Amino acid sequence: MTLNTDTCPVDRNVINLKLDRNPLDYDVMIVGAGVAGMETAASMGDMGYRVLLVEKNASIGGRAILLSKVFPTLDCASCIVTPKMASVSHHPNVQIMTYSEVDGIVRKADGSFAVDLHRKAAYVDFDACTGCGKCEQICTVTVPDEFNYDLVTRRVAHIPFPQAVPKKAIIDRRGEAPCTFTCPANVKASGYISLVRAGRYREAFNLHLENAPLVGSLARACYAPCESDCTRGEKEGTVHIRGIKRFMADRYYAEHPEPEYGPVENQLGTRIAIIGSGPAGLSAAFYLAREGHQVTIFEAEKEAGGMLRTAIPAYRLPKGVVDRDIKNVTALGVKIRTGHRITSLPDLKQQGFNAILISTGAADEHGLDIEGRDLDGVMGCMQFLHEVNVGEMPDLENKTVMVIGGGNSAMDPARAAIRIGAGKVHVIINYRRGRKEMPAHDWEVVGAEEEGVELMLMSAPTRFIGRDGKLVAVECISMELGEPDESGRRRPMPIEGSEKVIPIDMAILSIGLLPSTAHFPAEMKNSKGLLIADPQTLQTPDPDIFASGDCVTAPTMMINAIAQGRRAAFYIDRRLKGESLNVPFDCVLEKADKNVVLEEADHFVERQPVPQRMLSLEERRKTFECYEQVMTEAEARQEAQRCMNCGECAQCMECVSVCAPQCIDFTQKPISRSINVGTVVMSTGYGILDPATKQLLGYGRFSDVISGPQMDRLLAPTRPYNGVLRPSDGKEPESIAIILCVGSRDRTVCNPLCCRIGCMYSMKHAQLAMGALPMAEVTIYTIDVRAFGKGYDEFYEQSKAMGIQFVKGKVARIEQLSNGNLALHYEDQLGEGGKRTREHDLVVLTVGFLPNTDAFSLYKGGELAAGNSGYVCEVDPISEPARTNVDGLFAAGTAIGVMDIPDTVLHSGAAAAQAAVYLERTRGR
Amino acid sequence: MAHKRRIGVYICHCGGNISDHVNVKEVAEALLDEPGVEISRTHMFNCSDASQQEMVDEIKEENLDGLVIASCSPKLHLFTFRAMAERAGLNPYQYVHVNLREQCSWAHTGDKVGATEKGINLTRAGVAKCALTHPLTAIRIETQPRVLVVGAGVAGMRAAISLAGMGLSVFIVERGNEPGGWASQAGRMGPDDRYGPEVVANLLAQIRNHENIILYTSAELTAKSGHIGDFTATVRLRGEEDVSLNVGAIVVTTGFTPYEPEDGEYGWGKPGVVTLKDFRQMLEAGDGPLTYNGIPVRDVGFIYCVGSRQTKGDTCPEPNTYCSRFCCMATAFSASLLHEFEKESGQTINQYHLYRDVRTYGHLEAVYTNARADGALFLRWDPKEPPRVEQSNGRLAIKVKDTLLGDEELELGVDLVVLATGMTARKNDTLNNVLKIPESKDGFYNEIHIKLRPVETAIDGVFIAGTAQGPKNLAESVASALAAVVKTGGLLKKGYVNLEPLIAEIDTDKCVWCNECLKACPYGAIERVLCGDKEVAMVIDSSCKGEGACVPVCPQDAIDIEGFRDNQIMAMIDASLKELVAA
Repeated sequence: MTLNTDTCPVDRNVINLKLDRNPLDYDVMIVGAGVAGMETAASMGDMGYRVLLVEKNASIGGRAILLSKVFPTLDCASCIVTPKMASVSHHPNVQIMTYSEVDGIVRKADGSFAVDLHRKAAYVDFDACTGCGKCEQICTVTVPDEFNYDLVTRRVAHIPFPQAVPKKAIIDRRGEAPCTFTCPANVKASGYISLVRAGRYREAFNLHLENAPLVGSLARACYAPCESDCTRGEKEGTVHIRGIKRFMADRYYAEHPEPEYGPVENQLGTRIAIIGSGPAGLSAAFYLAREGHQVTIFEAEKEAGGMLRTAIPAYRLPKGVVDRDIKNVTALGVKIRTGHRITSLPDLKQQGFNAILISTGAADEHGLDIEGRDLDGVMGCMQFLHEVNVGEMPDLENKTVMVIGGGNSAMDPARAAIRIGAGKVHVIINYRRGRKEMPAHDWEVVGAEEEGVELMLMSAPTRFIGRDGKLVAVECISMELGEPDESGRRRPMPIEGSEKVIPIDMAILSIGLLPSTAHFPAEMKNSKGLLIADPQTLQTPDPDIFASGDCVTAPTMMINAIAQGRRAAFYIDRRLKGESLNVPFDCVLEKADKNVVLEEADHFVERQPVPQRMLSLEERRKTFECYEQVMTEAEARQEAQRCMNCGECAQCMECVSVCAPQCIDFTQKPISRSINVGTVVMSTGYGILDPATKQLLGYGRFSDVISGPQMDRLLAPTRPYNGVLRPSDGKEPESIAIILCVGSRDRTVCNPLCCRIGCMYSMKHAQLAMGALPMAEVTIYTIDVRAFGKGYDEFYEQSKAMGIQFVKGKVARIEQLSNGNLALHYEDQLGEGGKRTREHDLVVLTVGFLPNTDAFSLYKGGELAAGNSGYVCEVDPISEPARTNVDGLFAAGTAIGVMDIPDTVLHSGAAAAQAAVYLERTRGR
Repeated sequence: MAHKRRIGVYICHCGGNISDHVNVKEVAEALLDEPGVEISRTHMFNCSDASQQEMVDEIKEENLDGLVIASCSPKLHLFTFRAMAERAGLNPYQYVHVNLREQCSWAHTGDKVGATEKGINLTRAGVAKCALTHPLTAIRIETQPRVLVVGAGVAGMRAAISLAGMGLSVFIVERGNEPGGWASQAGRMGPDDRYGPEVVANLLAQIRNHENIILYTSAELTAKSGHIGDFTATVRLRGEEDVSLNVGAIVVTTGFTPYEPEDGEYGWGKPGVVTLKDFRQMLEAGDGPLTYNGIPVRDVGFIYCVGSRQTKGDTCPEPNTYCSRFCCMATAFSASLLHEFEKESGQTINQYHLYRDVRTYGHLEAVYTNARADGALFLRWDPKEPPRVEQSNGRLAIKVKDTLLGDEELELGVDLVVLATGMTARKNDTLNNVLKIPESKDGFYNEIHIKLRPVETAIDGVFIAGTAQGPKNLAESVASALAAVVKTGGLLKKGYVNLEPLIAEIDTDKCVWCNECLKACPYGAIERVLCGDKEVAMVIDSSCKGEGACVPVCPQDAIDIEGFRDNQIMAMIDASLKELVAA
């Protein structure tokens, strides 16, 4: 995207302003492209000045384009506003910057203004977008539609409204969804969740492949850091993201036993060797092969998969799933040479590989330096799990097994041992700290305990006792916690004399893993035996050799290894293509602010988690079958509904797939500019008071109490329900109440001002409602009826003649009746007087307006003065309309106080005249 | 016809305004059968930017040489679609507008079949007309960088200062002896308590300092000739001497006339019944206690809406139905001034404000709030039973039913009744004859469109501002004056203006110069010229408005109006009656 502010198209009659002062990029900048901004821009442009019109929304038109009709003539709002939109958007002297915000304005000594501004990232290339709306149709995320005042929802990829100018799509992104942000591989959890929600499982699976190819393994055995950062966790409980993924992966694999693709078309001649077929190596191979490189993986074991195959027990990860995941990689043409241990890198280089990736993992075990460690029956957890997974199951029936350690890698052998012994086995986990210090996931410990594993806490083995070289018992000593050590955890200290001997048949040591780097030269490793690699590019000191996974990071989760594999692939590919490695990897936004999500989450209904169905405990103790049962389709979609779309856009990429001009670009960044302008007009408009502020009137509690702006949308040609219907049940209302002065002329909300347009726009609502619903009665509750403009009092008389009832009286309180209708308690100030109650089935609150305080924060060159009521202060409204306290900075339209469209148009003319005279004074000949 | 036309027809839903009552799809399909029609389709909003872009692309791709837009009134969007045609490389005068909204859908709600049939016929007529169009070029006129401002009230003076500030020369013509208008007599003005004479003096000082402004007082505009961008205005000074001014535009800020109550209206004519202006002059006269006829004033009754918001009746055959907008604020502001006077003079004065609705809109609400805090008692009356003012015991009595007290009839003994009289349109036949600006039914000058073109009039180059176009307070008057300044600037700073080429054309072969056309022309846009050795009529392009008065009077049938040629009109009639004729 280019920001074309260098050259503004100028018609041949532009005034020649003096150029001996600071050169101007534009003669005038107008901030805000509602009626006032557009009118001022067109007027200035007509006089020959070069105009920059800045609008923070994606379309010009302001609030007026959203109106139904306009009083008192009942012209449709489009008829009034679209000519203005068209005239500025095609004006040769007017440059429009939509979706852009001014950051600061400072007045300079020569009377011109220095302006910093930026165009926000829309993630759409406006130059290429044709406004076809396909992205909007396919987008999987809905949010409340602010252009319909939240009456309905819209998609996150959207064109603001049908008459938008320019008609371009934008994509809302609040930030990266916490799940995606937290995932080491940035797997777009929010994306595949939204696709599952939409029933597009194949697309969901394919989206996952973009960040991690081993979908099935992750769906079963990932520790799911995403779930720990889920915003729904702050409410009813985290979304079971991995459960949704399991459904998605299982469904896809059931339908697609083989991948849907083969090797990519464009094959390159470059050859890459990858050492190790664990998650890091497989992932790197996948992304490199997708670029067309020739990839060979060397695997020392008999079968590929690394830890996925040898370490993770089948009750967590069935080996068939690993096989299917590996097909995702091999389908691309990746060769895996199993049973082939690489011991010499130079040999490998000599075989003609252009690059080597080492991803040998960390499967070597920490020993325990105590007496009896070599006894038969004492083994490492990797050794034990290897036997369980790919060797022969040991006989554990009626035996006692002790697992030493408190991490996740202690849980796997312990829980596997239970299953091998089919319940007739005594499994003890011996850990030297307490329960809450255990590094294993809580749910793992709970699961282990449920299955019968005994925890022996605050205890450490001191020696193994054998008979005939075979383990028969262990001596343990009780521990207590002392001062914190360098890791911050309290150091366990043995309690002298607390030793006791426990008879056991097997001891499994799960006290840590070491990188499997024994075959590599010392100069490639650090003191811990980890391979030395640049943390950004994963390139080792030998530029042709890269390293990724546990052998670089030390033992960690599968998803970390996958992330490393993809990262290594990215930089290897660049190196082999001769491209710079000095580029960032994934383009990730800041994490979305959960507090903002929760604040805006009023519209989220409560959704309890879908319970995870499990095998019975009895079955769990006997079988290596997965204990977690896969969600049904209904369950998965229901759980997916619980996602709060924290990032707004979920990056499901569906829009990208349908966008013919390929204009969607998630790497787009805001573009900042500094410019110089001769004068500034603030036409920043007004805000709308939150009707919920008047609590007793029930807005937000009763869905048939709506605001005036919402009523306008119900009556507009582009109306959301295609009719005037009650939001609660879609019924046509029969008795509509319109309450004036809600939050205007009202000290309880600190707004003593009259809103100036409420009486008129409410009578418009009443007349239009009577037209749309001939049988409906309409009653307007008023203090005074202020119909003061040209033709306005006649409109009032016409309203009365049409049968609209006017009640002079303040409504104090609204209650909902058992039939769903609303009871208005009010004071009838005419006639009999007194407190009255009346029933209506739709209530419209004609809300007051608020100053838009943006103007004040934009001006950084001192203080832009506000009037008593908080609007921009006109210093001399009688002689110098539109002039503010800052010489050369003017305010047009409702920025100085809410007014109707005719008054706004006139006031904008005044602002333009003032700005023109200022330009002539400071810049003229 | 030389070649087959390629015409595009675009029917607008107008977001339901048309499509709710006319089956637009059916119209579009029917039009495909018309000769020359290449494209016929519908849009939700023809005027939307996206639809325009689509049409531009199609005009270019399909190489169209005619365009028919069937949508709202051309008053709204004629220029929108002309500009669109230009962007598409199509001559804007080969575009024909059909009004399917005001002339079809809105007129025939509830008869979709009939309305659809009419819509087809109207659009067919548009196509038939379009087929006979040919490219035209606008008439370009050089503009004069000078402006005439009529009326030297605050609005006129303020407009002149900005016009001069933009580099234009300004003449102000004021009928009275002094500039300043009503503000110079207004004293203290709400809501910001500005002193009228001071505001005027300030403006006058700026005008005197400006070399580009010439102010004529005791002067009247008596004649105007020429056209937009280049008028000649005749100004009579002191009733004797004429000066001729060549200006590019005229800004009319002639202000209002205060309502003069009828005899007996709210006691008007009785001693002690005064207008708000009179009362304020009494209050601000200064010396000593507030008295009337020598008697200290103890009670004052203010009656609002005098001469405003009237309903037609026996006593009021020509009612002012409008709200005068400024009087509530001005009267409520007077309440605070009266209270201030009480505090300063020590004289206790009760004040009663008899109102219908207090219309202190927007920021002005503070004035009303202050008035109540300052002791003004507000009583609300119903126009069905307005207050009556009677003389009683040497004082005045106001009898009023207060609707807020259960319609209880109150009798208020007062020393003064102050009538808050509204604004009425200024009567000035001389000026109206010269300028011919259309008036609204209230008698105020009428703008073209209150939201789209609020300071422009049907007379090109003549702008209106201030209370000449309707009641306004001073700030609003000045804002509108500056809005007129901007439109004037847009016209004159460019140096030229394009005029419509849709004007009369004379077939010199047929013309025998009989003078009938010149007699009929309201603009004097015909002159007699020699064509070879024959005298014929010739149209003065810059003066002709194309209204067509000359066409029917020509005995030789020698005159046609571009865009409304006889053959086009005949073709339209034939096309719209096509089915009738066929049957």
